[in-house]
Amino acid sequence: MLTINNVVKHRGNQEILSGVSFKARPGRVTGFLGPNGAGKSSTLRILLGLDRATSGSALIDGVPFAELQNPLATVGAALDGFGAHRMRTGRAHLRWIARAAGLSHSRVEEVLEIVGLTNVAGKRVGTYSLGMGKRLGMAAALLGDPEILVLDEPVNGLDPEGIRWIRTFLRERAESGKTVLLSSHLMGELAETVDDVVIINHGKVVADGTLEEVIGNHSTLEEAFFALTSKNNGDGV
Amino acid sequence: MSVSSSRKTTRILSAELDKLITMPLIWRTFVATFIINLVLTAAFTSASLQGAADTKSVLNIGLASMIYLQAGFIILGILATCSEYTGGQVQTTLTTIPWRGLQLISKHLALAVFTFPAALVITASGVLYTVLMMQDTVAGIGINTMIQTVVGAAGYLTVTTLLSAAVGALLRRTTPALVVLLGYYFIVSPLMSDFLPRVHNYFPDAAGAYMYMETFSNEVKVLTPMQGTGIAVGWTLIFMAIAIVFYRKRDA
Repeated sequence: MLTINNVVKHRGNQEILSGVSFKARPGRVTGFLGPNGAGKSSTLRILLGLDRATSGSALIDGVPFAELQNPLATVGAALDGFGAHRMRTGRAHLRWIARAAGLSHSRVEEVLEIVGLTNVAGKRVGTYSLGMGKRLGMAAALLGDPEILVLDEPVNGLDPEGIRWIRTFLRERAESGKTVLLSSHLMGELAETVDDVVIINHGKVVADGTLEEVIGNHSTLEEAFFALTSKNNGDGV
Repeated sequence: MSVSSSRKTTRILSAELDKLITMPLIWRTFVATFIINLVLTAAFTSASLQGAADTKSVLNIGLASMIYLQAGFIILGILATCSEYTGGQVQTTLTTIPWRGLQLISKHLALAVFTFPAALVITASGVLYTVLMMQDTVAGIGINTMIQTVVGAAGYLTVTTLLSAAVGALLRRTTPALVVLLGYYFIVSPLMSDFLPRVHNYFPDAAGAYMYMETFSNEVKVLTPMQGTGIAVGWTLIFMAIAIVFYRKRDA
């Protein structure tokens, strides 16, 4: 269970997050939606202990990320960018992560196979396309076979086959009781993947509920999204 | 599953070593430093081939390139920490190893494990080259003195690398870190040695030089090798401590 509780984040004089609260539950795929600059990545970075909240808390199974005993086996995270130095090979990148978590080299080969990067694993990350970089990020997130996945814009840059693969993969993870939180600005893709939806705009949560609840009287999630985000500082669902 | 803290520390240290040895830029820096040092040593040796030589003069010539050689190790230290900020690697590092203080200390330890043998190879090769080229003129070589001096020089280069890594961790970007450190070692420090010679002895590079120059330098010595080592290591620990405090407080 991921619990974001009244998180506020200031950067300089600007308030980036203004009391963001929501939960991502086990066995569900939770979509975290919002326009660019709404505060999605900032929220995820605070959840993962990368950035510090000005106030409020972001907890993983009741504890902050930095207090997890075995982070890689608890949370798999893939944020924007490749998360790897461009001069290192994809395989070398995954191997140092595996070594830090006490995992074997055979597990590295397994995740390379899962994400379809085995053939290019010996090439430098700098030669990877955006889609390949996303797959490398997914491979790193899956290394510890974690109970929770936190993915920032996971389908961005993937080809249609990759998008279908990730959709099926995430659904299977949730159906086996695991927690999936993913951010996206691609409504169509999200509507086919998620169970719950949280919409954020200008650093505030403007909707939080099941997919059906958030869509409400609108014909699609996209319609609901635009209706909710066009009302500046609108009330939550 | 709970992991014992010693096991966790060993894993993190191994991972940081893995990062270093799988980074082509680190090896390129090492090889380039090795080659440039040999070329400089060859030039200094060939200019000094006239007349009789002793252990002192062999070490003086073999380590004459130290002032330039340290630039390679400064770059090595900066690369070790600033490379985290290329391609968003620091995000992966901190979601894999969220214990920031332990992670940064492990990175410095791994860097020391890599750097000391590398520095030993480079300094020993320079001195060995000088010995081989001057063997006809040299009037007896003190092996123990040579080993002691080469180990001291490798220690100095390791301490310089760690200090550079700490400054790199503070500044997070390669170019500003290079400007600050090369500016200090090649402009500010030499100027200070002229204007404030007494105070300058307590600066990290000047104090660190006492780690290896005791046996051959004819300059007036203000510190003992142990005092020099202590001051240079002290500076490095201070910068490491500041880097850790900032690393723990700042957003990644």
